[in-house]
Amino acid sequence: MGDVAVRMRVMPESIEVDLAQIKEKIRGVIPPYTRLHAVEEMPVAFGLKALIVVAIMGDRAGGTEELESNIGKIPGVESVVVEEVGLL
Amino acid sequence: MAEAKPHLNLAFIGHVDHGKSTTVGRMMFETGAVDPHVIDEYKKEASAKGKATFEFAWVMDSLKEERERGVTIDIAHQRFDTDKYYFTVVDCPGHRDFVKNMITGASQADAAVLIVAAPDGVMAQTREHVFLARTLGVNQLIVALNKMDATTPPYDEKRFNEVKEEVSKLLKMVGYKVDQVPFIPISAYEGDNLIKLSERTKWYKGSTLLAALNDLKLPEKPTKLPLRIPVQDVYTISGVGTVPVGRVETGIMKKNDKIVFQPAGVFGEVKSIEMHHEEVPEAYPGDNIGWNVRGVGKKDIRRGDVCGHPEKPPTVAKEFKAQIVVLQHPSAITAGYTPVFHCHTAQIACTITELLAKLDPRTGAVKEQNPTFIKAGDAAIVMVTPSKPMVIENVKEIPQLGRFAIRDMGLTIAAGMCMDVTPR
Repeated sequence: MGDVAVRMRVMPESIEVDLAQIKEKIRGVIPPYTRLHAVEEMPVAFGLKALIVVAIMGDRAGGTEELESNIGKIPGVESVVVEEVGLL
Repeated sequence: MAEAKPHLNLAFIGHVDHGKSTTVGRMMFETGAVDPHVIDEYKKEASAKGKATFEFAWVMDSLKEERERGVTIDIAHQRFDTDKYYFTVVDCPGHRDFVKNMITGASQADAAVLIVAAPDGVMAQTREHVFLARTLGVNQLIVALNKMDATTPPYDEKRFNEVKEEVSKLLKMVGYKVDQVPFIPISAYEGDNLIKLSERTKWYKGSTLLAALNDLKLPEKPTKLPLRIPVQDVYTISGVGTVPVGRVETGIMKKNDKIVFQPAGVFGEVKSIEMHHEEVPEAYPGDNIGWNVRGVGKKDIRRGDVCGHPEKPPTVAKEFKAQIVVLQHPSAITAGYTPVFHCHTAQIACTITELLAKLDPRTGAVKEQNPTFIKAGDAAIVMVTPSKPMVIENVKEIPQLGRFAIRDMGLTIAAGMCMDVTPR
């Protein structure tokens, strides 16, 4: 069984949301079978920025469900979209 | 200059343990994409152990470690270059629960390499991945029959032809033109027929995997299709106004265009478009944009709505006919089943109102008309009614908006494509 890298685009609720704080909180909600690989701010439009979050997990049952749901529940997060998944 | 080469997105698909990763690693190694210091390390280690033979597994392990060490957001794919193209390569996960991500993900594969281990032949995931490739609109396919060194006897032409026949049936079923698909006998581990034709398969008259990759065609961007931008999120930005964000799937959107959002049924005009915080006059397929809309409030539109031009508006389905493949389900699916359909950015409960036909996974022929139930492993034609207005398009007209994943109980139950839509 291999490891899967998951790249997500996390959007804030508004332009005023503090992305640094969201970054910190993401570290706290990563499921135990997952490790955070990288988080980067990416400009989108009109001052809005997305957080690109990359995590690594096993090629296992459940997939990205728990990870997406945990990040989605962080206050200030509007949406989580998985952009790419690939085996390492 | 490497950057000047045309670019293709390539997906490696196939059953777990059939050698996808080894084949990708081998192609990286042979095309010079492996960092030279990994090779140096390897040489040192090999000479220290007095080994003359090539231990490819070592290179594979080192490659994985290298990728994990680098803090990059591009870790989910790899890259190698041929003299003609540069490829970004995704090695697809095997577990079914990642299927949803492949359907709604950002990087659409331009071509796929299907890896089938010759000793094993077609396995469950081989079928699933072939169906998925078709569902995802991957029209160019290369089949590599791997582990030819492990057939009995090794490099057996007879076994190659048996598996080729088996795979051909599967491909025909989902609509691939088999005479246009190269079948290549390889051993990723030994390096046969990847870059150079192997002495061990003298009976094989086709090309190497590298040559087959170079023969791929560069697909046109779907700029001639009607405009479709599924809305990911909607913002009100002070001093600007209403700004939906999303990725252009098809068509071109220009500043000052009249637009419509469906199923909201709201009309507006594009005041400006930004990508990476820079204003652009127009947006193309693949662009992640925010666009400032005149005449539309934040509350008028939401995630799952699709933006298009009023003269060719997104289709809101009253019901639609779909071909699905059931990946997993604890029991059986009958008419009346109402799971959640994930289609572009929309997630909407839909009822499977009718099971029209069950298909034979080997031949693609109708095995049973109006079956009473379908279960894991079955392919079927079904009628679907969304519980609320939903945009979906006929996969033959706008493939990017015609595919979906079906989720229930935290599982990806099925994947499918829309064959016909009855508009509302």
